[in-house]
Amino acid sequence: MITQMHLKGLMFDPYNNAYIVVLRDEEGHEMLPIWVGKAEAGAISMALENVAPPRPMTHDFMKSVLDAYDAKVISVVITDLNENTYFAKIHLMYEDSEYTVDARPSDAIALALRSNAPVFAKETVLNKQSSEELEQWLENLKPEDFGKLDS
Amino acid sequence: MDQPPSRPDQGLIAYKVDRVLDETNTDTKILVLSRQDGKPDTFPIWIGAAEGHAIKLALDTTLTPRPMSHDLIKSIAEHLNVHVRRIVIGDVKNSTYYATVYLENNGVERTVDARPSDAISLALRANAPLYITEDVLARRNTANLDLWLAKQDKGSMNQQEVRES
Repeated sequence: MITQMHLKGLMFDPYNNAYIVVLRDEEGHEMLPIWVGKAEAGAISMALENVAPPRPMTHDFMKSVLDAYDAKVISVVITDLNENTYFAKIHLMYEDSEYTVDARPSDAIALALRSNAPVFAKETVLNKQSSEELEQWLENLKPEDFGKLDS
Repeated sequence: MDQPPSRPDQGLIAYKVDRVLDETNTDTKILVLSRQDGKPDTFPIWIGAAEGHAIKLALDTTLTPRPMSHDLIKSIAEHLNVHVRRIVIGDVKNSTYYATVYLENNGVERTVDARPSDAISLALRANAPLYITEDVLARRNTANLDLWLAKQDKGSMNQQEVRES
């Protein structure tokens, strides 16, 4: 089973000097925080805010390579979160064949946003996010962190 | 047909990545390219820290637990049977260098515009050759070059450290 997730927020985590991408399902029942590096957070934030940089950034270039041969991103699936190692699959369509490529969730999400492709999470990943850890994090999140990206 | 008439093949000089230098400004790194034929005409490019890191990982053939962004681009290309044939730094405007990535799939060649840092990061991972046009070499930003030369004079120890790390 997979659940479609939407990007709800991107915030700085001062404790780990990293950024957290927060994904949430349609009904708001499931929440999935993903820790990403500064460069990856920047790549996601640029796509979210529709910033057109003067030169193609890394994920714009990635998209250009796909566009050059008319390959499409069908979907992205977050398949596993294991301590500090995160896993995602990018599903591509090219000349009537489907290809699955292993990626970090940050790269996969940055590419999905540029391709208007949906992001899903496997049920096992959502279940793995123990409620205890999550609640602790959610307590630290300020409402404005979410609000900024809602509009 | 992929080469515009104004930029024939003989106008391309083969370069290689020499090293990535730290800058005093932590958000910037200097990517140093040197001529493949060994002639002394190094070509520095100022790039972002993340881009410099991506190039260093490829230079040192560091294996990361998960694919980094340019590993992913290479992986996507491989899945689609797209080959990276060469990288050409072919233009400079307002101190910004422009690179073109030449791709090929079943005899169909396509070109993609990229920043030199992304193009080179991919080229290193795909073992693709890197060229700079004579035109760009002639028109390179001399102000930056002077800064670079000054840095070379006073910072040779620091460079050695970076090269060996």
